[in-house]
Amino acid sequence: MMRPPIILLKEGTENKQGKQQIISNINACQVVADSIRTTLGPRGLDKLIVDSKGQTTISNDGATILKLLDIVFPAASVMVDIAKSQDAEVGDGTTSVVVLASEMLKRVKPFIEDGVHPQLLIRSFSKACEEALSYLKELEIKISGEKELREMLVKCAATTLSSKLVSQERDFFANMVVDAVNTLDESLPLSMIGIKKVNGGNLNESRLVKGVAFQKAFSYAGFEMQPKHYTGVKVALLNIELELKAEKDNAEMRLNTVQDFQAVVDAEWNILYEKLQKIADSGANVVLSKLPIGDVATQWFADRDMFCAGRIHQDDLDRLLAACGGSILTTVSQIDDNVLGKCGKFYEQQVGSERYNFFEDCSKAQACTLLLRGGAEQFIAETERSLHDAIMIVRRAKKNDSIVAGGGAIEMELSKMLREKAKSIAGKEQFFWLAYARSFEIIPQQLCHNAGLDGTDILNKLRHRHAQGEKWSGIDIHREAVGDNLAACVWEPSIVKRNAITAATEALCLVLSIDQTVKNVRTPSGGQMPGLPGQ
Amino acid sequence: MAMSIPKSGYNRFMKEGAQHFKGTDEAVQRNIEACVELASQIRSAYGPNGMNKMVINHIEKLFVTNDAATILKELDIQHPAARIIIMASEMQEKQVGDNTNTVVILAAALLEHAAQLINLGMTPQEIAAGYEMAAEKALEVLPTLVVSEAKDLKNIEEVRHYLRSAITSKQYDNEEVIADLVAKACVQTVPSNSFNFNVDNIRICKILGSGVHNSTVMNGMVFKRGAEGELKTVSDARIAVYTCPFDLTQTETKGTVLIENADELVSFSKGEESEVEAQVKAIADNGVKVVVAAGKFGDLYLHFLNKYKIMAVRLTSKFDLRRLCRTIGAQAQARICAPPVNLLGHCDLVAVKEIGDENVVIFDKKSEKGNVATVIIRGSSQSRIDDVERAVDDAVNTYKALTKDAKLLPGAGAVEIELSRQIESWGEKAPGLEQYAIKKFAHALETLPKAIAENAGMNATEVLTKLYAAHVGGQKNVGIDIWKQELMDAIENNIYDLYAGKRSAIKLATEAAATILKVDQIIMAKQATGGPKPRGPKPQDEDDEGMA
Repeated sequence: MMRPPIILLKEGTENKQGKQQIISNINACQVVADSIRTTLGPRGLDKLIVDSKGQTTISNDGATILKLLDIVFPAASVMVDIAKSQDAEVGDGTTSVVVLASEMLKRVKPFIEDGVHPQLLIRSFSKACEEALSYLKELEIKISGEKELREMLVKCAATTLSSKLVSQERDFFANMVVDAVNTLDESLPLSMIGIKKVNGGNLNESRLVKGVAFQKAFSYAGFEMQPKHYTGVKVALLNIELELKAEKDNAEMRLNTVQDFQAVVDAEWNILYEKLQKIADSGANVVLSKLPIGDVATQWFADRDMFCAGRIHQDDLDRLLAACGGSILTTVSQIDDNVLGKCGKFYEQQVGSERYNFFEDCSKAQACTLLLRGGAEQFIAETERSLHDAIMIVRRAKKNDSIVAGGGAIEMELSKMLREKAKSIAGKEQFFWLAYARSFEIIPQQLCHNAGLDGTDILNKLRHRHAQGEKWSGIDIHREAVGDNLAACVWEPSIVKRNAITAATEALCLVLSIDQTVKNVRTPSGGQMPGLPGQ
Repeated sequence: MAMSIPKSGYNRFMKEGAQHFKGTDEAVQRNIEACVELASQIRSAYGPNGMNKMVINHIEKLFVTNDAATILKELDIQHPAARIIIMASEMQEKQVGDNTNTVVILAAALLEHAAQLINLGMTPQEIAAGYEMAAEKALEVLPTLVVSEAKDLKNIEEVRHYLRSAITSKQYDNEEVIADLVAKACVQTVPSNSFNFNVDNIRICKILGSGVHNSTVMNGMVFKRGAEGELKTVSDARIAVYTCPFDLTQTETKGTVLIENADELVSFSKGEESEVEAQVKAIADNGVKVVVAAGKFGDLYLHFLNKYKIMAVRLTSKFDLRRLCRTIGAQAQARICAPPVNLLGHCDLVAVKEIGDENVVIFDKKSEKGNVATVIIRGSSQSRIDDVERAVDDAVNTYKALTKDAKLLPGAGAVEIELSRQIESWGEKAPGLEQYAIKKFAHALETLPKAIAENAGMNATEVLTKLYAAHVGGQKNVGIDIWKQELMDAIENNIYDLYAGKRSAIKLATEAAATILKVDQIIMAKQATGGPKPRGPKPQDEDDEGMA
């Protein structure tokens, strides 16, 4: 008897399951990792990505690349997720976390093929991860003392930058970044470091403005008559449109005589003049507003030797607030000296082809601006991303002042310790632990590979040294040899590693625990109103 | 035009394209096959060693989970008989919040065994009757198997033990961490009469980054947004809550301001300003340090809030607003006014903090007891966090079930084996044809421990025989130890199942199986064309379906 097959799922639904599913997920994750593998380390190469809008990005930041890749394979998106999470939590080390996770998966694959139950692997690996983290805690070095702390921050920033496009200038930028972060208040708000990009000039001409700088705003007639240089500045920060304008949107006038009409027109002008007069009376000599400042006001201020600029971005205004103090006013009726921001110096300067306003020597000084220069637009954009990473690292290191040696040193040491621990475990978990330990070695190996060194040779030397107790032995890329990376000042905050290990292990467990993928057909979106049943 | 072929039977009455199946062969067997097929899809997700499924639903959202309810919900099952089983598991989800997989697997096992009996010539009705008798007996026996009762639901240590089993099956490697969190949260929020425990009082806040073991629980609420004004931290704060936007009120009726001369024009905005200041000042005079509003904060208001050093927080969800009121003991105001002191809330710390790279506002009540607790879940990928959230949800529901019915059964498959054994020996005494069905019911119960053993990579048959041997020998609490791959005493290892959960699972599964068996005809109308039915608009709050 003929029977049609039982249709359980909708037509077009994809359904895969079983061991093969795990293996194919692992393979997919590895493909993802392969695409960014070569960006790791000081000799890592950059990727050029053209997105669907035709925009070009050059980057070697793992998270940036993966975000742009637009991955659709469901399991592989886990890799993108861990890169994002590393970016969110620490801000750097995004490539390492993906490379580490993919190596762990690679080491696990044979076990799955041999029929080991994935849950056993998961159990062992999460135990091993805990162990690795506790070793990391033992190994990390606490830094104390004002001067040492600063030095540590500079070195951490330099280590981060050494793997980026701007690595030649890393000392220059490392100091800049640390100075920038040091100006911030306790909670280290990232938004208080402004980054402005100006095409042209040289990387070396980039500078840190201890205060606020922003591009000259759109201005009206009379602007050029205003002075562009002050000392002892009092800044009025406004959120008011200084322009002739209706007081109330939906107000209506009913007038009977021409005199009344004239009186109303005069009153409107008076309202504006009164506002301007109040600002002038408060003693402010620089007036900045989020909203436009019109012709009349610009000329009025010019007559009184005051500077004004309208349509300032909210971020810049916030930074000015953090730098100069005072408050942003929505009404001028109560303006006085207390609500004005104060700073030492204000001037306008040509930077590249742009005119910039600078505010320096500010009274509260809890904001700063990095002015980046460079040739190509993509180059500056990548510099910005690199500096962002470095800033994040410095912020984390400041909150969490312990470090480990980079350049593969910490990974080798963890690998060694885990291997020793594995030997004390009876049963088949020993193999799992060994595989886990082995996967840490991918970091130094990949570093060598990207630098064109003989990975096997260096890895052997490293293992030898670590076995002899030189726990900070790592790769010295520039000398193409093995050396003590603690002494060589290749430092990284331990939190970077801690998060990388956690994230990589969690990704590993997640990928292993999936034995079935069901993909439903996508409902065509649009066309129908939600809530209405189909016709 | 096509030649019209005379249709026969039912088809004559129906539109072209309609399908219909009739009789034991076509309808019953087919339904059974579909259900068995469905169960086999999620069977490998059962138990602590169950595997996850990756489901991509119709709007391309990714789920990685082993929670049967979620899988089934997102699978978009079409078969009508299979839908009955899914409905049963949905009922379980609503009533108990856990053991959904048990329902599906048990129902499918019952049907599978029924198919054998049908082949032997029994009618589905007889089988259904037998199953119902057996289920009745099972529910009779079940209370005698209760081993202990949760005594102290306010003791974190004790609660942890009870919750562990529910979490283990969801998050195998993190059960200790999560059990800790949930136990703390539950004990914190449970009212003195624990019967009134409300699941809604345990909030979850998911933030990407770090690892699951860095998840924390706190007394109070966490919102994923920043503060509006300049003030970011306030301690020992009095809080005023408004359900309206904190802005100049617009009249509902369309109207214009009529200005008749110049003086009125000049004084108009001055009047507005002083009015706003007076309002804010009145609020400040009551000692309010934080203002929470459901809508936009107007520029002018914000200006004066900053001036009077009041922190401004905007919440968009009215549900969140209600919960916040419950947390801090405030009464929400429907318009801007200075509420009397007894309607204000209080909180020890209101602050903007950075967790991961997310700015959150926390309302922290730094005390042991509180009305609302928030579990902050961290994790390295979104799907992981979502799955942990489901585990937490299940555990909280387990706790709720405990507050209603504190009886506990031995876990790890011990209950099922004992039930199976007792029902089998009871069935032998049954006089009629039902005897066969009752015996099959007993066998179907075996499927659950079998699934646990299979998923753990053990030899299921061997394990079952050993289990039977132990149970016949009087060791009623012996279950499967998946870690050591042998048998163990579930009580000694603190593995408990909820009595309420098991009871309702057996009931629902039997009912679903009986319903499907009693269907002898399926008529499917031709599916309306015009694309799949779009789902209704998403509820504003992730869990407001149950509460509105």
